[in-house]
This record gives sequence, C-alpha cells and structure tokens, in this order.
Amino acid sequence: MADVTLKAAAEPAVTKGALSRFGAWLSQERVFRWIPFVLVEGTFILVIIIPFLLTIYISFLRWRANRPFEQAQLSGFRNYEQVLTDAGFWASLGRTFYFAGTAVIFELVIGFFLAMLVHRVVRGRRIYITLFLIPMMVVPVVAGYNFSMIYLDSGPLNQLLSPFTNMLGINPRIRWLSDPTAAQLAIIIADIWQWTSLTFLIFLSGFSSLPPQLINAARVLGANKRQIFFWIELPLLKPAIVIAVVIRSMEALKLFDPVVLLTFGGPGTSTQTIAYYLWEQVWQFNKYSFGAAASILLLILFSVLIFVGIWLLIRQRNQFEQQQETAT
Amino acid sequence: MARIGIKNLVKEFGSFTAVKGINLEINDGEFLIMVGPSGCGKTTTLNMISGLVMPSSGEISIGENDVTHTEPGERGLGMVFQDLALFPHMSVFENIAFGLRVKNTSEQEVKDRVQQAAEAMHIEQLLSKRPGQCSGGEAQRVALARTIVTNPSVYLMDEPLSSLDAKLRIDMRTELKGLHERLSGTFVYVTHDQAEAMTMADRIVVMNGGEIEQLGGPLDIYRKPATRFVAGFFGMPTMNFLDGEIAAVDGAPMFVTDGIKAPLEGDLPANLSGRKATLGVRSEHVLATEAENGGKVSLIEPLGDATLVYFDYGGPTRLVSKVDPDRLFAPGDDLTFAFDANNCHLFDADNGARLN
Repeated sequence: MADVTLKAAAEPAVTKGALSRFGAWLSQERVFRWIPFVLVEGTFILVIIIPFLLTIYISFLRWRANRPFEQAQLSGFRNYEQVLTDAGFWASLGRTFYFAGTAVIFELVIGFFLAMLVHRVVRGRRIYITLFLIPMMVVPVVAGYNFSMIYLDSGPLNQLLSPFTNMLGINPRIRWLSDPTAAQLAIIIADIWQWTSLTFLIFLSGFSSLPPQLINAARVLGANKRQIFFWIELPLLKPAIVIAVVIRSMEALKLFDPVVLLTFGGPGTSTQTIAYYLWEQVWQFNKYSFGAAASILLLILFSVLIFVGIWLLIRQRNQFEQQQETAT
Repeated sequence: MARIGIKNLVKEFGSFTAVKGINLEINDGEFLIMVGPSGCGKTTTLNMISGLVMPSSGEISIGENDVTHTEPGERGLGMVFQDLALFPHMSVFENIAFGLRVKNTSEQEVKDRVQQAAEAMHIEQLLSKRPGQCSGGEAQRVALARTIVTNPSVYLMDEPLSSLDAKLRIDMRTELKGLHERLSGTFVYVTHDQAEAMTMADRIVVMNGGEIEQLGGPLDIYRKPATRFVAGFFGMPTMNFLDGEIAAVDGAPMFVTDGIKAPLEGDLPANLSGRKATLGVRSEHVLATEAENGGKVSLIEPLGDATLVYFDYGGPTRLVSKVDPDRLFAPGDDLTFAFDANNCHLFDADNGARLN
C-alpha cells in the first residue's frame, strides 16, 4: 500500500483508478499532515463529545425508555430538581462517601505497614511483593463471586470467626449479606481486600526511592530508629501518601462491582452506592432523563474533587522533584 | 583525644574483598587524606570508621575506646557526604539543628549553637531557606555547618567537593584547610583527586586494590613514591615511564632503552646490573636542553607559567617535558633532551616496587 501511494505520488501521470488517485491525494503534504489529527479528533468527537452532548440534551427532556423518543418533550430543569430533592440520591451519595472514606483509610494504613515491612525484608522480598499484588490483578467480578461464597451464613468467614463470636456471645451465623450493617461492612472489606495492593505498591515505591544517604547522615548525627522514621522517612514519603489518597479516593467513589455481585444494593437500600443508584434508576426503572441529569450533577461534583486532587498531585510532584534535585 | 587506630581491617562483599586488612594510626588533630582510584576501598574504609559499614574483621578504635561495634551516632564523629545528604524537607536551620535535636537539646541552646555554626560558615542569610534553594557552594557550607555544630572530635569527609565546579573547589580547599586549623579536630578525608590530597593533607594514604600503597607527607609521596602506581597517580601531567634495563657502563649505572641512555645517581643497591626495570621521570625533570638523546615534538600544551612539550623519542610511548614558556617549540621540531639524574625513579618491572 505504501509503495503504491509513493509511486502514485511520484508519477501522477501513470495513476489509474479511484483508489490510487485517492492515495495520491492523501500523500500530498498538505493533506497528509492532517491525517493523525483527524483520526484523534474524530474518535474524540464520536466517543466522548457526542454522547456527552446527548446526555445533556436528554437531561432536559422528559423521557422514559419505555416510551418513544419522538414523544419526549423538553422539560427544562425539572429532572435536576427531581434529582436534588430525591432522598435516595442523597442517601446513596452519602453512603458512597462513607464506604470510600472507610475503605481508603484502611487501605492506606494497611498498605503503608505492609510496604514498610516488605521494604525491610531482605530474604524472599520478591515473593512477598508478588503475593501482595495478586488481589489487584484479580478481575473484580471474580473477586466479588469469591466474596459472595466467603460471606455465606455457614461459609468460611463465619467458621473462622466462630471461636471469637462464641466467646463474645454473638450468634456465629452472622448474616453478612442480609444484615444492613454487616452488608455494608462486607462491601467495605471486599474493597479493602482488592485495593490495598495498590496502596502497598505506591508506598513500596516510595520507600524504595528514599535516598539511603539521608538516613546514613541522620544515623551519624545520632538519630535513633524512631527519630529517623518520624523526622526523615515519613516527611519524605508525603508525596507517595498524597498520590495514594487521591488515586484511591477517585476510584473508590465509583464503587460498583462488589455491590452488584454481593448485595444488589440490599438489604433495602443499605448498600446502594451512587454508581449503583444511577444504574438502577436508568437500567431498571428506565428513567433515562432522570439518570442523565443525575450524572451531569455528579460529573460536576466529581470534577471539582478531581481538580483538587490533581492540583494536590501536581504540587506534590513539584516538591518531590525539588527534593530529588537536592538529594543528588 | 581523638586518635584513630585501625587494625587488620577487612571488608568483604560476597566474594569481593574491598579492603584487605589495612593497619593505620591517625594522630589526634591530623588532616589525613585517603586517595586512590575508584574501587580502591577508600570510601569503604571511611564508612567503617563512621560505623555505617560493619567490618568483616579487624578493629577500629577512636581515642581509648574500641568502637568496632558501636552505633554510628555514638562514635562522636561528624561526616560530610559526597552528595551532601542535606534533608530536603527541612529548612537550613533545621538541617543544622538536627544533630542537636536528636539529643533533646534545649531550644535556646539549639538557637545559639546553630547561629554560631552558621556564622562560622558565613551562611546566616540562608537559615530560613530550603536546601533546594541554595547554590552548590552554599549547600556545601550548610553540610559543613551541620557537621561542626555538634563539636565532634573526628570529621569524616567523603569526597565533599566533587559536586562543585573547578573554581569553587579550589576555593573550598583553602577554606577546609582553614577550618581544620580553627577546629583542631581530626580530619579523615577521602578523595580521588590527587591535587586535593596534595594541597590539604598533613599525611596522605594512597590506596589501591584494597591495600595501602604508601603512607606519608604530600612532598614525600611526590618526591619519593614507593611504587610505580603512586608515582603515576600523583603529579600533573602523569610521570613519564620507560621500560628498559639497568646496565653498568664504565662502572657507572645506566638505564638503557630504545636508544636512550640515562645515567643514574644517588644510592643504588648493588646487583642491579642487567635487571629489568621501569624508569619514572616527572615532566619537570625531563630537561630539553642538553644534547644527549634526540626526539621530535608532536604536541604543545601551553599552561601559562610553563609549557608542556610532548615528543616522540623512538620508543613505544610519548614523553612529556615541562619547559620555560619563553622557549617556543612547534610540532615537528627536533629537540634534544636528558633526564635529571638526581630525580629519576626506578621501579621493579614485575611488582612496581621502588628500587632506588
């Protein structure tokens, strides 16, 4: 193909047929340089801009998917008003922040200590790293099904806990997925299990990039292990901590898979996250325009959060680079 | 008293022996410089004195105490690192104060002593800055201030000037020497730069391959190198070396090679006649005046106060002579030369040991 076009460009007089003429036209400099631009922009418009504009448009309609689209009428901000006054929307949004906040705190703390321990281990370090990274590599659906089995009333988790529950006088058959409080815990635990790997990885790379000479300098100056940790290592790990917080928070706000796989938002609505709530409104109740309005509102909210997050990240990165410069 | 004693010090990394059993006595208040090429074991030795590296065997004592197994922070020493190792997240003040803070010094004392150290290093105006905002020379002073603030009796320095540009490095040499006189502490300084070693040291330890090649004052080492390695390591340009044989001509010892005959003077051991040897002559002792041997100029390097003339003499190497800058040579010129018989160094051709 390349040969054909090159030849065609070189000897336009000989070209015959539509295809080779098209090739000749494409290989002109003024046309050719636009090709990558057109492809990238075309994809962007097709995949992102059109659905986005369509969503905005639908959010101003009064439309359910069980009625013909032609009959949908413009309804102004009615959908937005409905979303903002919907108790379910606010409840699931609050629940999302509760799940995300709790899970991320545990992921950070556990990930940090695992990384710190593995950083000190010399023998078998690679094995530990591999093991601790496995949860992140498990497909979320598979992890969800595994947890649904673990959480069975007579399942392994309750079996393991039974000595303790007996001691405390609690019924050992904890209904992990049908008790509202336990189900919330179950979702949070599943998320912690899967995503502590990521914080572990971030913190481990943070520990590995601590300049050893700084720690040597502190040792010669007489600092003990505790002082070295709190005065040198921890402050230098701040960029890694911010990165872990931002990345995990952004992800955790989209919590969806374990909810669908474990509880379907139940019992009642006790484990409905905002992502699940939207999915249900749109795909179960066919409330397309309501869902569109809710997604636009969420987009605005999360954009603000992400902007703050990215601003923090950039600030940390600049600091980190400055640190690297001085360290070398 | 901070006399440092090193006995049979050995460090092995796996199957590689970095330091092969060295013995060294460093006097109280001495400025001792360890010098050698990369991988000669000088930094490892320094790290063992600091306690950052544990020796495989041997003993280290500071003053009266055996510190071989003591923690680095309890040896009463200060160290300046090659990359300075300033704490990037702390201000210059906190950097200097670190060694006092770890010992729970009172706030007022910390303030006073940091201020004193900063004044001594002329960096009072930097105290509120971060290390990242300091220039190379300023960061160097901060690192020194952090070291002197705790008043250690021993100062260890691991190529502290290597990150500075050439001009600043020469200024800092003078300053370090002055600092040593003011502090009257024991300085152990590691460098691979022979000029640094020559200019600052009371005594120099030349290391190579994990062993001490020579220990002595700068001029001793320059004038009477113990081995061919030391002779080649010190001096700019590198000493001229010629491989040849020692012969007795009319009862007088003579070094003979590739058409060159160089009479030898001074104390020479007997039975050297017929022995294979390497002759070492510094460029300033290659006299381009007398008509004894001939050569052809190939390259000129004017230094300003002298001119280096590189010339071929018919052997496998090129020789260099340092001549008066007023004498003008051009590549291709013929020249005649002789060696200053009183300043010829003879080394064993096999093990490089000094013969005369």
